[in-house]
Amino acid sequence: MFRKLLHELRTMPKFVYLLVALTAFGLTVGVYRMYAGLGATTNLSKEFPWGIWISFDLATVALSGGAFTLAALVYVFQFEALHPAVRPTVLAGLLGYSSVLVILLFDLGRWDRFYNVFAHPNFSSALLEVSWCIAAYSTILFYELSPVLLEKSRWKWMLNVIKKYTIPIVIVGVTLSTMHQSSLGTMFVIMSPRLHPLWYSMLLPVFFLVSSFAAGISMIIAGATVSYWLFGRSLKRKTLATLSWFLPWILAFYLVLKFGELVIANETGGLLSSGRYSTLFWTELVVGAIIPIILFAYERVRYNRLASMLGAFLVMGGVILNRFDVTWFAMKSVSHQTYTPHWMEVAILVGVVSGLITVYTLVARYFPVYEETIAYKPSPREIIQPEDARLVSV
Amino acid sequence: MAEHSKSPRYGFLIDASLCIDCRSCMVACSVENKVSMDSTRIWIKETGITGNYPDLKRFTAPYHCMHCKDPSCVSACTVSALTRTDDGIVAYNKDICIGCRYCMYACPFEVPNYEWDERFPLVVKCDMCFSRLEEGQQPACAATCPTNAIRFGRYETMLAEAHRLITEHPDKYVQHVYGETENGGTATLYISPVPFEELGFPEAGTTSPAYSNRLVTEGTPMVAGAMLVGLSGTYLTIKHLKEEAAKERQEAEQTKASHTEEDGK
Repeated sequence: MFRKLLHELRTMPKFVYLLVALTAFGLTVGVYRMYAGLGATTNLSKEFPWGIWISFDLATVALSGGAFTLAALVYVFQFEALHPAVRPTVLAGLLGYSSVLVILLFDLGRWDRFYNVFAHPNFSSALLEVSWCIAAYSTILFYELSPVLLEKSRWKWMLNVIKKYTIPIVIVGVTLSTMHQSSLGTMFVIMSPRLHPLWYSMLLPVFFLVSSFAAGISMIIAGATVSYWLFGRSLKRKTLATLSWFLPWILAFYLVLKFGELVIANETGGLLSSGRYSTLFWTELVVGAIIPIILFAYERVRYNRLASMLGAFLVMGGVILNRFDVTWFAMKSVSHQTYTPHWMEVAILVGVVSGLITVYTLVARYFPVYEETIAYKPSPREIIQPEDARLVSV
Repeated sequence: MAEHSKSPRYGFLIDASLCIDCRSCMVACSVENKVSMDSTRIWIKETGITGNYPDLKRFTAPYHCMHCKDPSCVSACTVSALTRTDDGIVAYNKDICIGCRYCMYACPFEVPNYEWDERFPLVVKCDMCFSRLEEGQQPACAATCPTNAIRFGRYETMLAEAHRLITEHPDKYVQHVYGETENGGTATLYISPVPFEELGFPEAGTTSPAYSNRLVTEGTPMVAGAMLVGLSGTYLTIKHLKEEAAKERQEAEQTKASHTEEDGK
């Protein structure tokens, strides 16, 4: 047993050690943050009560949007060809949401009474809606992922029960996701005095929802391609091409909404004349939407792993920048103060992200996450395959 | 929604022309609420020094929670730690707050502050010295102000007094009562000899952002219900269509098979 463990540790990709070290350091700083308070460990202030943690949370939730987009496509709209993408996406989604919950715990001033979210709800609060939906949806993601963990265990008999209720559970999950992806935008509807007019809109919930479709699909494509190189396990090019086919349509829909809203709200004047804000706005949309629309319109790109991955990274970058703009870069204060994160804020964030990637790597290594294994090259991972199988069955 | 539009019972009338920046209101607030001078619930806004020597001017005004009629913070608060009482006081329940700090971003006046240096911090916000009001006393800041720049009383009285002062002294005051319509109306009213932007007061609309917020959040259960029905319908429709298509294909194959059989005969 011990020798087997030692062998596993030796054959582990080296970057896992680095990730574990970063996680340990981040969590240590996190414990210090709980002890010392927010003032000593963050650069948050009266003018900027939310910082990089909230920006990260919003970006992560958007990128985890692949799980509900795909669940809707596969189970509700019954695009069965996309089924092999479900497991890795649900796993990534579950880990994304978990990391958001961990970061939120560091962010809450009174993390010791987080349960008041359930004990004393205020139903006109968008943040309440977000927290309820995320709590419920994380549970559903775990349900959707459970077959992966159970398949080779002694609780195998549960699989039939789980499969029986998959459709209703998925429908509730898709609804909950739609609700919280949009509610994250609703949170900023109340901030009309603070948020720059290029971003502020009553349609923010719709913007957030639509961009989470695009971000989620891109995350699946990028994740599958990275995994292809790292583990030689991935999705077929046909599956990826079917997914990326949706991207130009979603992004074009998003663009029409964004610019249409600016025209209706009579804010088009600010498109070029707002200095820094104009640059951020155009970067978001040119890099994250216009270029990817052109790229993914070509079948050649959709069937090429490298090109698809680059396109997916552009979309993800655009959506991440959008969430950072809304929560941070485009937020104004009367006193014109600015915010730059404290190193401890960044350290905690890096720690949590490293932990997330570590868990993903380990689960993808030991559990049947990717159903389509693609012969790529005999990676170290494939050489030790028989032993793996034994480990799992123990 | 009716309770949101109810007029407040009490109001402040703050006259920027009388403030001498002595900060005794801040000291009084600190003593009354047992907080350090860094986290008082009242502080001073100022114009900075303006004009050319020797005609230099500097105006100041004490600033604290406006006690809105339709407070954004109350609408935003995740756990209903912030509420508006029947008297129109925007109150904070320190035993419920989870420290999400959404109220700080939601407030159009940037009023709520936070105990940044505490291990278990709370929001810092004026509650109109609720306990003093119960004893029939004025809020600490109003009771202490040596120049009567902070006055406290019935809301209607304060509003009438504000209008009387600016109409009787048009040369002395800007013709605007800040807080009468700002953010849908507030219990704290200001009159000033200089435009309010110069004092660093935010420009607020006449409707509270809480209104737009409710428009969206109150529609959520409906949208969720509609989605559940719509998604179930979509699933069953597509499933049905697929089954129909499969059946038709099967039937077509059967007839084709029987035809070939007949032909064989």
